[in-house]
Amino acid sequence: MKTIKILIVSIFILTYSFTSGQSDSSQIFKKQFLIPKLTTELGLGINASQITGVVISDLVQWNLKKRLSIISYTSYAYNNAFLRTFNYIETNYNYTLSQKFGIGTSFYSKKSTYTFSFLAGVKYESFKETLNNPKFEKVTVSVSSLSPDFGLMYNFKRGQKKYFFNYKIYLPLYPYPFKTFDINAVDGNMANFSLEFGIGMRLK
Amino acid sequence: MKNLMPFLLLLVFASCKKEYDLKLTKEFSILSSINGGNYNIKVGLPDNYDPATKNYAAIYILDGEENFDYVAEKCKSISNDYGTPNVLVVSIGYGFDRAFDYTPTKASEGGGGAEKFMEFIKTELIPKMEQEFAADTSRNSRIILGHSFGGLLTAYAFTNYNNVFGNYIMLSPSIWYDNEILLQFEQDNRSPNKQNQQLVFMGIGELESAGRMLAPFEAFYQRLKNNYPGIKISKHLEPHLNHVGSKNPNIIEGLNFYFKNR
Repeated sequence: MKTIKILIVSIFILTYSFTSGQSDSSQIFKKQFLIPKLTTELGLGINASQITGVVISDLVQWNLKKRLSIISYTSYAYNNAFLRTFNYIETNYNYTLSQKFGIGTSFYSKKSTYTFSFLAGVKYESFKETLNNPKFEKVTVSVSSLSPDFGLMYNFKRGQKKYFFNYKIYLPLYPYPFKTFDINAVDGNMANFSLEFGIGMRLK
Repeated sequence: MKNLMPFLLLLVFASCKKEYDLKLTKEFSILSSINGGNYNIKVGLPDNYDPATKNYAAIYILDGEENFDYVAEKCKSISNDYGTPNVLVVSIGYGFDRAFDYTPTKASEGGGGAEKFMEFIKTELIPKMEQEFAADTSRNSRIILGHSFGGLLTAYAFTNYNNVFGNYIMLSPSIWYDNEILLQFEQDNRSPNKQNQQLVFMGIGELESAGRMLAPFEAFYQRLKNNYPGIKISKHLEPHLNHVGSKNPNIIEGLNFYFKNR
């Protein structure tokens, strides 16, 4: 529990250090860096879902102003990707679909963009397990759950041309603290913590 | 960042544990002659505790150091809600690593010390509670509560020590352990155990999707539901929560089930 509290405070300090490290000289940027109006970014990464899952996503960012963005984030996660059978328990399927919208703010350097956003939406988690131990009766269980999804995202883009590199870190804020202040619930947050890399494209 | 500080402080303080009334808490250690473990025991007494004239039901909590305060507080409030007498809350600390004390067989994840640990509870701890704290001596007045490996031990107490406890609160039990050995124990001991009255609550997080929890949980639940005529059993999947996050909400559900149906 102490470790989790230290982790939460460290993440906020890290976020603050990123924001305070960026300089903003808007006049210079107008000449050297054209802020795109609309971008789309494909991402491929991992989440910490129990024993690690694989995530694919698409993020669309509409920059209304230099410091204000509207974001749409859509993802599919293939959970429990690397341990589908354990002690005669088979994972038949296990996936998460998520759709979130949010607002963000961006900071710019010569070739890079740093975007911090708050996202809110829903996620649908569905999984099925079968106990298939030859000594006992076969038992199958399936769960489908729709829940809110809140979180903070840090999105780094690198490149000035039509295509650019990006990576994203997503820090869920559900179930802790939006559903409950019980710090034990952070294991649910960590199951959806994700890190992705990918290629983006300027649409406008 | 300065504007975030009050929010951060609120998060930290809201997450802090509340201690049970120290005036109602007794603490001592038992050095077990069974397995050599030195167990720290905390006892939460009910309000208006009167050992001279009353005997009390007792709930035995595994992972005691972590769970004592929360369970003691909830026992007090829930028993008040139902207008029913509160119980002695007995938390059992660690004598050895929990992966040793709470596991029934030796496997890669555990050391198989559960049999001796249960003998310690049965022959050393429970008699002490009965002699010194006026714990009721009947099987139906004893409850055992455990989570994760503690839930596994609670299930093991059901299958192999069913004459000791009459009430079981199994939370996210690790029934997957050692290729579901608990299902074998249940089969082996079903015949004598099905003669007893049982009150059983089984709780789990809805999103415990690691590929090891829900199917064995359901298998054990179906076994108990279908094969024990004297059982009163309830199952609960706590929505939107995982293994650790579902523990406290399921403690509340389990205690409500016990106090309502005792």
